Amino acid sequence: MSVRQRAATWSLWLCGVLAVVITVSAGVGPVRIPPAAVVKILLNAVAIPAGIEVAPLSVAGTLQLPLPAITWQPAFAFPVDATEATIIMQVRLPRILLAATVGFALAAAGTVMQGFFRNPMADPSIIGVSSGAAVGAVAFLVVPAAIPFGLGLRGAAFFGAVLTAFGVYLIATEDGRTPVATLLLAGVAIQAFLGAVIAFLQLYSGDGLRAVVHWLMGHLGNAGWTDVTITLLIVPVLFAILLAYARDLNVLLLGEEAAAGLGVAVERTKRILLAVSALLTAAAVAVSGVIGFVGLIVPHMVRLVVGPDHRVLLPAAALAGASFLVLTDTLARAGATEIPVGIVTAALGAPFFLYLLRNREVHAL
Amino acid sequence: MARRFSSISSGTARCTRCERSTPLVVDDVSVDLGGRRVLSEVSLTAEAGTLVGLIGPNGAGKTTLLRAIRNGIEVASGEITLTGQSVPGLSAREIGRRVATVPQETALSFAFSVREAVAMGRHAHIGRFEAADETDQAAVESALDRTSLTELANRPVTDLSGGERQRVLLARALAQATPVLLLDEPTASLDINHAIRTLETVRSVVDDGTAAVAAIHDLDMAARYCDRLVLLADGEIVAAGPPSAVLTSETLETAFDATAVVSQDDVTDAPRVTALPGVDEGDASDTDG
Repeated sequence: MSVRQRAATWSLWLCGVLAVVITVSAGVGPVRIPPAAVVKILLNAVAIPAGIEVAPLSVAGTLQLPLPAITWQPAFAFPVDATEATIIMQVRLPRILLAATVGFALAAAGTVMQGFFRNPMADPSIIGVSSGAAVGAVAFLVVPAAIPFGLGLRGAAFFGAVLTAFGVYLIATEDGRTPVATLLLAGVAIQAFLGAVIAFLQLYSGDGLRAVVHWLMGHLGNAGWTDVTITLLIVPVLFAILLAYARDLNVLLLGEEAAAGLGVAVERTKRILLAVSALLTAAAVAVSGVIGFVGLIVPHMVRLVVGPDHRVLLPAAALAGASFLVLTDTLARAGATEIPVGIVTAALGAPFFLYLLRNREVHAL
Repeated sequence: MARRFSSISSGTARCTRCERSTPLVVDDVSVDLGGRRVLSEVSLTAEAGTLVGLIGPNGAGKTTLLRAIRNGIEVASGEITLTGQSVPGLSAREIGRRVATVPQETALSFAFSVREAVAMGRHAHIGRFEAADETDQAAVESALDRTSLTELANRPVTDLSGGERQRVLLARALAQATPVLLLDEPTASLDINHAIRTLETVRSVVDDGTAAVAAIHDLDMAARYCDRLVLLADGEIVAAGPPSAVLTSETLETAFDATAVVSQDDVTDAPRVTALPGVDEGDASDTDG
C-alpha cells in the first residue's frame, strides 16, 4: 500500500471515529438526546447549493453591480423536536466543533514540534506560544487598558502568542542559523519569565482572579459560532502548509546535516515549520485557553500505531487530536458542575503517558 | 561517459549538460573556521568513473572539504563547481540532485523501514506536491539491490546491526542517483568483511560512471580501491596522484609525522603501508586512528 493510500485510509477511518464521537457528544448534557435524534438534527443542518441567483447590488448609489449569490437549500427535512434542535445547534454543536478544531490544531502542531526538535517532550507550547497567549489574555482580564488597538480577549491572546514565538525565534537565531537546542532553551527561559509575569498579574487581579484562573486552565465553555467560523477558516489552511512539508519533516528526523545532504533547505524549512505551528497553536490557544497534554500525548499515541512517517502521522494525529478533545470536553461538561477541560486532558493524559513510558514504548520519537 | 542511472534519472534533460562538464572541480579552495584556516588553497578534480581517496591525519581537513563540496560550509576563497555550475549559486535541492553523501554515521533511531529510509534519498527528485513515481521506485529498488538490502527492505532500521545501517546510508546515497558521490570514512566503524563489501559496491558504482570522493583512514584500502589519492595535512595538499606516487615513506612522514615503510602487497599488488613505532617522542601514530 503506498504512503498516500495509507494516509487516506487512516484519515477516513479517523474521520469516521470523529463523526461518531461528535454524535455521541452532542447527545450528552443536562438534556439527554438519543443518537438517532442527534443524527436527524445534524442532517437537517446540511444544506446543498440549490442554484445561483444574481442579485443587483448598488454601489455608490448609482452604479449597479450584478452580484452572484448562492442559494442554499436544506438537504433533509426530518421531523425533529424544536427544543432539542436548538440545544444542539446553538449550544452544543459550536462547542463540539470548537473542541474538534482546537484538538486538531494542537495535535498537528505537537506532531510537527516533536519531529522538528527530535525531542519526545516537545509540545506546541515549547517555544513559549502558550505562555505568550496567557500573558496577553491575563493582561486583558486584569488591566484591559494595557491592550492596544482595542483587541479583545482572543486577539490579545493570539498576538501575545505570535509575538512570543517570534521573540524566541529572534533570540535563538544567529547569522541566519537557528540551532534547535538554542531554540529549546530560549523557549524554556522565556516560558519561565512569562510565568513570572502571569503570577504577578494574578496577584493584582482582584475580582478578575476567577476569570484568569478559568482561562489558564483551558475551557471551551463560551464557544459561539463566530469562534468556530474563524478557527475553521484559519486551521485547515495552516494545516495544509504543514502537510506539504511532511516529507521534509521525515528527512529532518535524520538530523540537519543529513537533511541538507538530501536536498532540504534546512533553515528555510525550519522557519516555515516553526511559524506555521506557532500560528496554529496561537489560533487554538486564543479561543480555548491553555489546554495541556493534547499536543504532547496524542502524537505519541498515534505514532505508536501508524509509525513515524509524517505523511501518514500528521493527518492521523490531527484527526485523533480532534476526537480526543471532543471526548475529554464531553467528560468535562457531563458532570453536575462543569470543570475546565484542561484539567480533564491532563488528568487523563498524564497517567496514560506514564503507562506508555513504563511499557517501554515511548523512549524516543 | 556513461552515467549511472542515466536511463532512470528524472533529471535527464539537464544531464546532457552534466555529461559534458566534469562532475566535480574544486579550484583553489580555502576555508576558515572560527578564524582559523582549516583548508588552504586545495584543488582537486573528480572525473566520471574515478574514485578519489582523501587521506591524511585526523584534523587534516578531509571532512571539511567534503562539507564544502556540498555547500555545508562557507568557502573563504576559491570555487567549487558541480557539473559545471558554481556551488553557491545552486539551491539545496539542486545540490541534492548533484551530490550524495554517505555520512560516517547518522541518526537512524526512528522506526522507518529500510526501504523508507533509502527512499529518502529521492527527496531532491520529488516535487513538494508530488508522490514518488516509477523512476523513484526503480532507483530505490536498484540501490537496495546493489547494497544487498533487498531482503531486509521491510525491517525497521532500528533493528539493524552497525554494518547493515552503514549499507542503508550507502543505499540512500545511491538512490539519490547523483553524478557525484561523497563518502566520509564509510568503513571507519565496519569489520573487515563489511568494509570490503562497502568499497566493492562503491567501486562498481564508480565504474558505472559516478565520480566519487572518499575520505578513508585505512591507507591500504585507499591504495587498493582508489584511482587517485589526495594526501592532506594541516589543510594543505601534501601529495596527489596515483596511490603508488602518493604513498611513499617521505610523504607519509610529512603528513602523519610517523615512520612508515611502503611495500607492495603480494595479493592485490597495491601499495602496502606498515607503520613503525616513531623514533622521536615515542609517539607511534597509527595509520588507522
